[in-house]
Amino acid sequence: MYSDFGQILLFIIVAIAIIGAILIANKIIRPNLPNEEKLTTYESGEDPVGNANVQFNARFYVVALVFVLFEVELLFLFPWATVFGRPELIAQTNGRWGWFALGEMLIFVGILSLGLAYAWVKGYLDWIRPEPKKPDYALKIPKDLYQKINQKYSTHR
Amino acid sequence: MLPIVLLSVFGIVVLFLGFSKSKNILLPATLLFLLVTLIANFVDWNHQYLYFNDMLWGNNASMVFSGIVLLSAFFVVALTRGFEQEGEAAQPAEYYGIMLFSLVGAIMMISYENLIILFVGVEILSVSIYILTGSDKRNLRSNEAALKYFLMGAFATGIMLFGMALMYGATGSFVISDISEIIGTRAWNEQSQLLYAGLLMLLVGLLFKVSAAPFHFWTPDVYDGAPTIFTAYMSTIVKTAGFAALYRLLAGSLASLQDYWFATLATITVLTLLAGNVTAVYQTSFKRMLAYSSISHAGYLLIALTSLTAKSQSSILFYSLAYSLSTVSAFGVLILVSQQQASNNYDAFNGLAKKNPFLAFVLAVSMLSLAGIPLTAGFMGKLFVFTDAAQKGTIWLLVVAILASAIGIYYYFRVLIAAYFKEGDLATIRIAPFYKVVLIIVTTLTIVLGLFPDLVLQLV
Amino acid sequence: MSFLVLIPLLPLLGFLINGIGFRRIPKNLVGIIGSAGPVAAFALSVYAFISFQAQGSAPIHVHLFDWITVGTLNIPFAFQIDQLSLLMLLIITGVGSLIHIYSVGYMHHDEGFGKFFAFLNLFLFFMLLLVMGSNFVIMFIGWEGVGLCSYLLIGFWNKNTNYNNAARKAFIMNRIGDLGYLLGIFLIIQQFGAVEYAVVFEKAATMAVDSPAIVAITMLLFVGAMGKSAQIPLYTWLPDAMAGPTPVSALIHAATMVTAGIYMVIRSNVFYSLAPDTLDLIAIVGLATALLGASIGLFQNDIKKVLAYSTVSQLGYMFLGLGVMAYSPSFFHVMTHAFFKALLFLGAGSVIHAMSDEQDIRKMGGLRHKLPVTFATFVVATIAISGIPPFSGFFSKDDILANVYQHSKIMWGLGVLGSVMTSFYMFRLLFLTFFGTFRGTKQQEHHLHESPLSMTLPLVVLAVLSAVGGFLNVPEALFGSMKLSGFMAPLYELAAKANPVAFAHQHLSHTQEYVLMGVSVGAALLAALGAYVVFVVKKSVPAADGQETGLQKLVYNKYYVDEAYDAIFVKSMRTASDLAYSFGEFMIDLVVNGTGKVVKNAAAKLRLLQNGATSFYVFMMVLGITVIMLWNFWIK
Repeated sequence: MYSDFGQILLFIIVAIAIIGAILIANKIIRPNLPNEEKLTTYESGEDPVGNANVQFNARFYVVALVFVLFEVELLFLFPWATVFGRPELIAQTNGRWGWFALGEMLIFVGILSLGLAYAWVKGYLDWIRPEPKKPDYALKIPKDLYQKINQKYSTHR
Repeated sequence: MLPIVLLSVFGIVVLFLGFSKSKNILLPATLLFLLVTLIANFVDWNHQYLYFNDMLWGNNASMVFSGIVLLSAFFVVALTRGFEQEGEAAQPAEYYGIMLFSLVGAIMMISYENLIILFVGVEILSVSIYILTGSDKRNLRSNEAALKYFLMGAFATGIMLFGMALMYGATGSFVISDISEIIGTRAWNEQSQLLYAGLLMLLVGLLFKVSAAPFHFWTPDVYDGAPTIFTAYMSTIVKTAGFAALYRLLAGSLASLQDYWFATLATITVLTLLAGNVTAVYQTSFKRMLAYSSISHAGYLLIALTSLTAKSQSSILFYSLAYSLSTVSAFGVLILVSQQQASNNYDAFNGLAKKNPFLAFVLAVSMLSLAGIPLTAGFMGKLFVFTDAAQKGTIWLLVVAILASAIGIYYYFRVLIAAYFKEGDLATIRIAPFYKVVLIIVTTLTIVLGLFPDLVLQLV
Repeated sequence: MSFLVLIPLLPLLGFLINGIGFRRIPKNLVGIIGSAGPVAAFALSVYAFISFQAQGSAPIHVHLFDWITVGTLNIPFAFQIDQLSLLMLLIITGVGSLIHIYSVGYMHHDEGFGKFFAFLNLFLFFMLLLVMGSNFVIMFIGWEGVGLCSYLLIGFWNKNTNYNNAARKAFIMNRIGDLGYLLGIFLIIQQFGAVEYAVVFEKAATMAVDSPAIVAITMLLFVGAMGKSAQIPLYTWLPDAMAGPTPVSALIHAATMVTAGIYMVIRSNVFYSLAPDTLDLIAIVGLATALLGASIGLFQNDIKKVLAYSTVSQLGYMFLGLGVMAYSPSFFHVMTHAFFKALLFLGAGSVIHAMSDEQDIRKMGGLRHKLPVTFATFVVATIAISGIPPFSGFFSKDDILANVYQHSKIMWGLGVLGSVMTSFYMFRLLFLTFFGTFRGTKQQEHHLHESPLSMTLPLVVLAVLSAVGGFLNVPEALFGSMKLSGFMAPLYELAAKANPVAFAHQHLSHTQEYVLMGVSVGAALLAALGAYVVFVVKKSVPAADGQETGLQKLVYNKYYVDEAYDAIFVKSMRTASDLAYSFGEFMIDLVVNGTGKVVKNAAAKLRLLQNGATSFYVFMMVLGITVIMLWNFWIK
């Protein structure tokens, strides 16, 4: 018959077939009324103009990193969950299996939480809020001069 | 296994210690942690172990390799002086934490049984080093170095991973001993081409890490750009771990294919020796010269690896130790001098011996050892390595190596000439007592091992 | 027997203390520290001797540690204590202690007092290593070490260029010998795969007589002995070595170091007994040296030079004895010679001390009243060395000559001739120095005085030993029992087994022995009488420098051997090295500078590859990988 890779091939074929079918179905069913706004790359309104090499705020990456971290954590939790509650394993080990598996996952999650806590305490999770600085340069013109001028012109109005 | 667990925990602890008000606790704590790990490293002494579902493997030799890495790390950490002089931007807790984490990677590279652990180890170590290289955030050179290292490292990692995948394709296993068994069933010229492509790529990836030519180009720029203390760190730890990993791979699973990879590796060895030694001659910066010297020492270590005799392991081990010790003391002196002179050039050492005889002596021993002059550990290391080549019968390789070490004497002695014979106005440099103790220990070890190499060799 | 380790260690300790702190330690303490080591070593040697006798005659082997292990060759650092090394130990530490004590007085005014004691102790250390080692390599360490100390001590007053030259001469002459010795060791290693005496001799004993390997080994070892024990042609350094302080001449250049060659031959008696050809050569060289040394001694006017040539000549006698396989008699002579020659040198030192550093005997005379103790002891020594009974020299020299007689009657005749000359020049020395009237300056006369106790005490002790030392080995003809020979007999058992023919000599009848003794004693007495007539009765004094004539001039100038060596070896060597130098200037520089330039140029080019562009680096990596792949998959 076919090897294990055969199944993957089937998956690929089916995936391509389904996507193709859906796209074709779309093409047939949908109304086709293009306008300029609809044809832009990002419909969200972001204008794709200029160099792609622009600088983004570094905070994006920190948040993205933390996000990826917990994504991976979740990914690990799934296979763990499938073996955590297996009755036959629990029975075989007289109940210790559950505790053991739980403990292992707690350590794993604990380390990640520690990392999160560290990032939090360090302030990496705070978004930079621009703090307007008061200019502190000294003027040669005294302040009351301005006031005088203001007063002068305010009376004439 | 114990050192890996301990180092991971200690790394986290150090990170959180950084929140405490007193920054002075970090250095002693890290040293204590390293010491504890060093002791824990040897709990399995005289046992051959397999841990983590046969992912990690170890015996006395790999424990000694880990010991060398931990010891070098201890010395380098001791030379950091708590990063007091680095200023406001420094993050001592993070540096120490990352250093401890990187050691996890190094130990994994030394004692892997499964190629996946090798990969994970390489990555843990490399990523840590990328960060440490760029730790001088306000310095453009440091940033450049980090980025360069990262880009090229990522490339090399890709090649290595590809190689592993191909090897898996050819043998159906990631486990060193299984691969060896599968290869052993066939003669070297009857293996699948997939395997060859895989092993060559895997070798390239690892050779990049130990900076063998023509994959060495990152080394001078990165070593030069990184803060000196981290240059010392990476030149000792990465090299030792890298060579332990290479040895484990070649001896553990690919020994029967020596006829196949020998020519390639021998060519790379010669290229490395020439590239390192010849280019070092032209440098004016001591730090950059040490970078080239590190390339050339990779060449010497490759000789033992290429020959792969029964004694290669002990040769590599002794050589790494000798090299690490001398490098640590060389950088230790460089840090002090460059701080005083604000320069890494040879000129900065002018007249060092007059007011700082101790530093000059430490420097002299370290340079003599690196150049391979008798009565130092470096000489013994070279002797063992050359003996391996002679045993394998590769005389031409030996000739190149000896010529290369003759060139080496030229550039190692330049700094000694500057220190001892040139006029200079170097004032007396204040050395912290602990710093001095470390330098004394390292220098003494260099001399003692040059006289009694058996002290280490009998461990293996 | 682990205390044996202390014997060499004690002098070494003395060397370390005095050597490191000789500017800081007060003089009195230096002398005490310097002498304590040898004295303690002597006490331990005596103890070792007693306990050795208690346990039988088998050699004691003390293993300290494995020193060198290369392949199958193992060189341990170990000591072997047997009859030979014990006797040497007693001589070295005994005479050594006396000379150390003497030096306390003799060197007291010297500014390098501490340095002197340090060197002297170091010498003792190496000498003890030489005789205690259990293999040829340790003997070689000692061999080289004593050579070094000899060099240091000859050139002790290193502000004088002549002294430095003398030191260098000694060193270089010894190097020639050492080369032979070293080659001998290499040959032993090649032949037997070991250097331990026990192993090597056991294997050698199974070899045939006159096998080429053994002859080569013995010849090479003998070259070493020639250098160290000043035999023709390598003897010229010893008279020059008198530039060193007198205690050094007594200890190193008379009593101990120069006898190392004899020790070595006796130690390797198994080899030598198997190589009769070498033995013949040794006998001839020994005899020639004995005659040459004695004849030069006849006309020398420097008190120490006379004694130096006398030493050369006496060493010749010992080798003559070895050459006829009279090992024990030769060693007996080593022992008695150590007593009386050390005494003579120390006595000479006492004279020189009294004469304010004057060494020319033409300027002395009549000293017997001013230096009574020195005179009395000097007389004893002179009688002993001249071979007049019952003093020690008679017994030992006669023992050798009796053995020579059995071997060859011509050699015996020449040997007696040598002893006549010995007697003559020794009495000449005695009479010119101590009899007649004082011929020096007024100032010197005013300053004459007997030496302090620390100097006269060793003289007296050595005089007693010189007088009675001979009774250790009284021949049967004189109703003795040959104690020493009996004690040393086990040393030759192996050799006797290997080559029984050589050891099977018939004994002389007592009548023959009486005749031989009578002839040599009579001749010696006659020579002494002659000297008395010439120098006391006729009161003649040797001519001033440059006024000698004919044969006398030839002899006075030591047969121009030094000049000949200079012309043949030194000059040609100079020319050769000049040539080599100019050649080297050109060729070597060409190669060295050329290589340097090539490397620098290559570096300048290679440096440009490091251009800082990451893209280029990655490109090079890719190129490298591509080449590797191409080469491995298509080209190979």
